[in-house]
Amino acid sequence: MSRFRHRRPHSVPGLNLASLPDLIFTVLFFFMIVTHMRLVQPQVRYEVPQGRQIQKDVRKSGLVYVLIGKPVDAQGRVLSDEARIQVGDRLVEVSEIGAAIDQERGRMSDEERSRLTVSLRVDRDTEMGLVNDVKQALRRAGVLNINYSAREVKAAIK
Amino acid sequence: MRSLRRHRDVPELNTTSTADISFMLLVFFLVTSSMDSDKGLGRKLAPMDEERQEQRDISRDNVLMVRIDADDRLYCDDQPVTHEELQQQVESFVASRQTERYVVGVETDRKTSYNAYFQMQDAVVAAFRSLRDKMARHEYGHPFSACNDEERQAIMDRYPQRISEGGLVR
Repeated sequence: MSRFRHRRPHSVPGLNLASLPDLIFTVLFFFMIVTHMRLVQPQVRYEVPQGRQIQKDVRKSGLVYVLIGKPVDAQGRVLSDEARIQVGDRLVEVSEIGAAIDQERGRMSDEERSRLTVSLRVDRDTEMGLVNDVKQALRRAGVLNINYSAREVKAAIK
Repeated sequence: MRSLRRHRDVPELNTTSTADISFMLLVFFLVTSSMDSDKGLGRKLAPMDEERQEQRDISRDNVLMVRIDADDRLYCDDQPVTHEELQQQVESFVASRQTERYVVGVETDRKTSYNAYFQMQDAVVAAFRSLRDKMARHEYGHPFSACNDEERQAIMDRYPQRISEGGLVR
């Protein structure tokens, strides 16, 4: 016992925090590289279907988003039950898709233009009539690469 | 002059708040980043121009008709099927054809929901993928994903994904 009593009360050494900023900067850079800013604000509400065979679309360049779903306002309230189409940052009619795609094309470089892909983000409850109309419009606009956006099915618990 | 200077301490920069600043940035990027990576089923549409369109006569035996009605019921050659059965049927249909000139015809109603259509596409893609994988294992002894370009091309020539949505004229 006496061994302990004789000890002088010493102060706890402070933790060296010098490398903490470096650590956080590393994480920060990771997120800066991984992230890509959300370019378009969705004006429609959509929930993409789930699939098992989906692949990751690696090419981010030359990607045009076509969103189909119920229109919502800035606060996220559903405005009507009729599905609308959004290309870029505005709502369009089926007849205007070609022009909207051309406009998106104009912003791209030649390399991006050559591998233009349309990512179709369609609400799962949309009627196929509209989707087929959009697909025909895309064909007419010369966009042949499309991608049905979807989420991965969560593995079933056995 | 020199000896006088030596006694002065260089004041240290207070870096305590660097961590806080970088935390702020980190949180900003965490919030703005959209982690929903673009995943989906890639498809190719048929070109629109007339010259590139080919009219093909395909015997009825080499056509598998997949249909979804307005109430999202799935039919394969007019028999109601589930998605698993559809996958099986597409697989056996494609595997049993001697020619590459088969077609999986897809027909939807205007009222069909997109979800039903997507699930159907998913099943068809699954069927093709399983076929290609089987062939790769049989011919080359490793899965399709491990094939080189040449092997991949050979397999894709044998099992091309021929899905027609243009409506087939009987």
